[in-house]
Amino acid sequence: MMRALPWVYLIVAFVFIYLPVGTLVLFSFQEGNLPVPPFNGPSLKWYATILGDDDLMEALRNSLVVAFGSSGVAVALGFMAAYGLARHVLPGSGLMRGLLIAPLTVSYLIVGLGLLIVLTRTGLGISLWTAAIGHVVINLPLAFAIIYASMGAQQQNAERAARDLGASEAQVIFLITVPMLLPSIAAAFFLSVTLSWDEFIISFLLTRFDVTLPVEIWSLLRSGLSPQLNAIGSFVFLISVAVVLLIELLVFRRRT
Amino acid sequence: MTASVTISDVNHWFESYHALSDINLEIEPGEYVTLLGPSGCGKTTLLSTLGGFIEPTKGQILIGGQDMTRVAPAKRPTTTMFQDYALFPHMSLRDNVGFGLRMAGIGRRDRLARADEMLDLVGLKDAGHKRPHALSGGQRQRVALARALAVKPEVLLLDEPLGALDLKLRRAMQDELKSIQKKIGTTFIHVTHDQEEAMAIADRIVVMNKGRIEDHGPPDRVYRNPATLFTADFMGENSHITGRNAADGIHTAFGRLPHGGDMPQGPAAVCLRPEDLRADDQGSFAMGQATIRDAAFFGTYCRAHLAPDNDPDNILTAYLAADGRWAAGGRVTLSADMYSFRVFEGA
Repeated sequence: MMRALPWVYLIVAFVFIYLPVGTLVLFSFQEGNLPVPPFNGPSLKWYATILGDDDLMEALRNSLVVAFGSSGVAVALGFMAAYGLARHVLPGSGLMRGLLIAPLTVSYLIVGLGLLIVLTRTGLGISLWTAAIGHVVINLPLAFAIIYASMGAQQQNAERAARDLGASEAQVIFLITVPMLLPSIAAAFFLSVTLSWDEFIISFLLTRFDVTLPVEIWSLLRSGLSPQLNAIGSFVFLISVAVVLLIELLVFRRRT
Repeated sequence: MTASVTISDVNHWFESYHALSDINLEIEPGEYVTLLGPSGCGKTTLLSTLGGFIEPTKGQILIGGQDMTRVAPAKRPTTTMFQDYALFPHMSLRDNVGFGLRMAGIGRRDRLARADEMLDLVGLKDAGHKRPHALSGGQRQRVALARALAVKPEVLLLDEPLGALDLKLRRAMQDELKSIQKKIGTTFIHVTHDQEEAMAIADRIVVMNKGRIEDHGPPDRVYRNPATLFTADFMGENSHITGRNAADGIHTAFGRLPHGGDMPQGPAAVCLRPEDLRADDQGSFAMGQATIRDAAFFGTYCRAHLAPDNDPDNILTAYLAADGRWAAGGRVTLSADMYSFRVFEGA
């Protein structure tokens, strides 16, 4: 009896975590017009609907571009900041580290509102670009923190050895530092991608005509529940899972 | 490829800490020199000024007659073998060893051939495709050596290269380093805190303490006839006998010793190596009777602490024959050869 208890707990915990996702995926295969029991599928008709919806597909493409683009920029900036602060003695480097990480504690709503006010007041206007900038703002501290934490004495010694063997600063960074930090750089990148991919508030505030997928889903939600939304949700979930698997395969498997 | 190294009047401060003071040293091309001293003596700092990782506050460093004081590490004819090896974990051994040649713009085929040659030199001929994490500590150390030598440096700097190895492997690597150095003729400058390692490997030992050079010379001379009391103590065990330098010799509790050089009159520290203290009356300087405090078996000798009747509070250390005659409480007659004593100014 006592030996079964941990297993019961484990099962209950996983059901709690995965039941909503499971239900969402299940009713995306619903035949009828409402995503509620009884289940009368399976059918792929709602997937056909969303794949045929141009607005939705456009939002999907926008989301992918914003996610990968903003993550690339955030990781590049985060890496440079981490390298500079880890390798050089700068005045006020403690303060600089703090200021770089501080945006993590600010809610996305505040970041989005702040950017919205600045962009409208300066007359720059809002677009997909500004949403991407917002995502760089929220992902840069994360990328910096992950990469900075993984910069240790081991890389520093290898960099010194490379310099001793005649490498220029650029060669040191591209041939030694980046490859040695690749696991954490990739982890920072893919984490940024998943966060940007899911992000709603900033995208909602900072986009107008070209929107990202979460914003498009939100506008569809206003017209009520439909298995179509379940299908989109499953699709989004599938892409997130694919990215996580990619991290697992590319980053963590290689270490062993 | 080999070059001389000249260090003249080098001084270095870390903030207000005087890490190197008035270092002057000439190293011949092809010489194997060890910088020996306790931690914090400045030996690694001195090595870093030679490698270009630290620019000395004052002074000049010439390598092969060229002023290198302010030249970057990459532009110096030196390479360093680091304490923690600092291998590149994401590259194969061949790519690690060939890295310096790649930086020098040598084509892939040539540099891989040279890398294989260097791996062969250090006994890792067939391991070129492996990654550093698949190697043992001793093998990593060999790869680090091959990598540092692949670019044919004129001077190789070794920063406590054997520190992380176990004793047996360390002894084996010492012999290997020495034979590789003789084969290629490059000047080796090797930092260590292990005096046995220094004696086993070096043509010349430079003993450092508190940022200064205390003594330098061939191992046997530095061991037998050290220039300073610090060197005498650092190079191995010593028994200290207090003495007083007077016109007719050095007065000690054991009798009068002849003068050793022109020393000012006053207190003197007399040192005697444990292997020079005899448990018989055959030495030219009789030291009377002593009581054995304890004796421990060390294989080739028995290390004993002795309380001499002439100076019972001054416990002497002796390496006696390893034949088990020595038991605590036993009595022995002590003597030593007159010339085995070393006398230093002060107490």
